[in-house]
Amino acid sequence: MTKILEHLKYTKDHEWVSIDGGHYTMGISDYAQSALGDIVFVELPPVGTKLIKGKTLGVVESIKSVSDVYAPLSGEVVAINSEVTSTPEFCNSDPYAAWMIKVKITGDASEASALLDHKSYREICS
Amino acid sequence: MMEALLNTELTQYHQRLHAKMAAFAGFEMPIQYTTVKEEVCSVRSGVGVFDVSHMGEFFIEGNDAVALADYLVTNDIKGAGEGRAIYSPLCREDGTVVDDLIVYKLRKDKVLLCVNAGNMQKDWQHIQRIKNATTFSAQIYDRSSDYSLLAIQGPKAVEALTMAGVLGTSDEMEFSYYSVREVKFDGVDLIVARTGYTGEDGFEVFCDHRTVVKLWERLMAQGVTPCGLAARDILRLEVCYPLYGHELSDELTPFDSGLKWTVKFHDRNFVGKEVLQQVVPRFQIIRLSLQGGIPRQGHPVEIMRSTEGGVDVVGQVTSGTLSPTINKGIALALVEKSKIEIFNSKNGGKHTQYSIIIRDKRHLVDYHDKAFITGGHK
Repeated sequence: MTKILEHLKYTKDHEWVSIDGGHYTMGISDYAQSALGDIVFVELPPVGTKLIKGKTLGVVESIKSVSDVYAPLSGEVVAINSEVTSTPEFCNSDPYAAWMIKVKITGDASEASALLDHKSYREICS
Repeated sequence: MMEALLNTELTQYHQRLHAKMAAFAGFEMPIQYTTVKEEVCSVRSGVGVFDVSHMGEFFIEGNDAVALADYLVTNDIKGAGEGRAIYSPLCREDGTVVDDLIVYKLRKDKVLLCVNAGNMQKDWQHIQRIKNATTFSAQIYDRSSDYSLLAIQGPKAVEALTMAGVLGTSDEMEFSYYSVREVKFDGVDLIVARTGYTGEDGFEVFCDHRTVVKLWERLMAQGVTPCGLAARDILRLEVCYPLYGHELSDELTPFDSGLKWTVKFHDRNFVGKEVLQQVVPRFQIIRLSLQGGIPRQGHPVEIMRSTEGGVDVVGQVTSGTLSPTINKGIALALVEKSKIEIFNSKNGGKHTQYSIIIRDKRHLVDYHDKAFITGGHK
C-alpha cells in the first residue's frame, strides 16, 4: 500500500512538498520510490539555483532507469540534503524523511494552490 | 492499434511473485522481482533462474542441417563437434549483422538456433531467403511457440539442476561449458545446454510448456532466486557481452562490435564472407567506468587530444548502468576506430584519457583492457 502523508502536498509527477512560510522542502513520494526500484544515484541542483515550477531540477536514477525530478514551485535553492546524494537508497527506505532540497519561494501564491492534497494525490496513485 | 502482449507459460507465476512486468519484444516479461542488486548478487554467488521463453527457437533438420547452419553464420559450425554450442553473428551478404545467436549442434541432422526475441521475424525472413537461394537438403522449422526456455545461472546451478532431477549426479563432469545434450526429465524430452548470458556457470533448458511449470516450481521450492530481465542485462554488461540493438546492429559488421573471434574464414564459405574478408572496421567497442555518475545509452564519449589539449567526440555509450558488483558506473561505447587510433598513437600507443558527457557534464572515465568482472564459468 502506497504511503501518503496527510500533512503534505503533492504533484502529479510524484514529488511531495512541505510549505513553511516563505520556504518549501521537497522530495519524491513513496509511490515514486517504489516505482523506480533501488535508487542508486541522485543529482540535485547547487544552492543558489533558480527553479521554475514544472521544470527539471535534478534526476533520480535506479540501476536501470533515469527519472527527472521537477520543481513543484518556483524559487531559489537554499539547501540540499547531502545525505540523499551520498546514500541514495535513503529515498527508498524513508522517502518522506529523505528531503532533497529546501527552496525560498519566489513564485506567486497561485502556484501553491495548484498542488494536490493527500486525497487528490491518492486518486492519482490508485 | 496496440497489439496485445504475449504471455509466457509462467506469466501468472511471475505476477504471483509480484514481479514488475514490462513489454519486451512483444511479450510481457518480468523485469525484477525484489531488487536488481539482490538478483545480480544471487547469480554471482548462488543461483538464479530467468524465464527467457520469449526467445526464438529455429530447428534445421535434414542431411545438410549442419552444412546449412555453417553457411548461414560466420562462426565455424562444421568444424565443431556434435553436442557443441557455438555463439555466432548471423550476417547479410554485405557483412552487416542480422542478429547474434547460439547454434546448438544437437545431432548430425539436427541443429537448433536460439535467436533474440526482438529479431525473430527478421531472422526468419533472412534465413528463408538464404535457404531458398541454395540447394541444401534441409528444412527449417520455427518452433518458438512450442518451447519455453529457462536459464539457470550461477555457481550453484549444477547443484540446483541435480536436485531438480534434470542432471544426474555423474553428469556434471562430462558436461563441459558450451555443450548441449538431449535428456529425459520425468519421461519428457529436454534440451539442456551449459550456456548463458551472465558470465557465470549455468544452463539453459529448452522444454515444453507443461514441463516448464514443473521445473519452475521445483526450482522455487529449492530456493533458487527468480531473476528478471533487468538483472540479466546488468550481468551481461558486467562481463561485457554485447547485446543486439546496443553493441550490435543492422548497420555494423561483427568487426565493428568486437566479434572478430566469431568470424572464421578458413576452409569454409558463408553468407557475407567476401565482404568481411576485405572490410576495414569503422568502429570498435571500448569499456569505460567511472565513480559519481551512471553512463546511459546515447551519452557522448570524448577523447582527450594528448598533445594539443582539448577533446574530440569519438562515439557514444551503447550500454550503461551502475554495476552492483563493483559499485561503479560502467559502459560499453562504440567509438570511431580512426579517431581513437590517431590520439592513442600520439600517446605512445596507450589509450589517452576518455570522458563521457552525462547531462551536459564531462566525467573523466577509466579505460578497461578487459571486462569489468570475470565470471566464474568453466
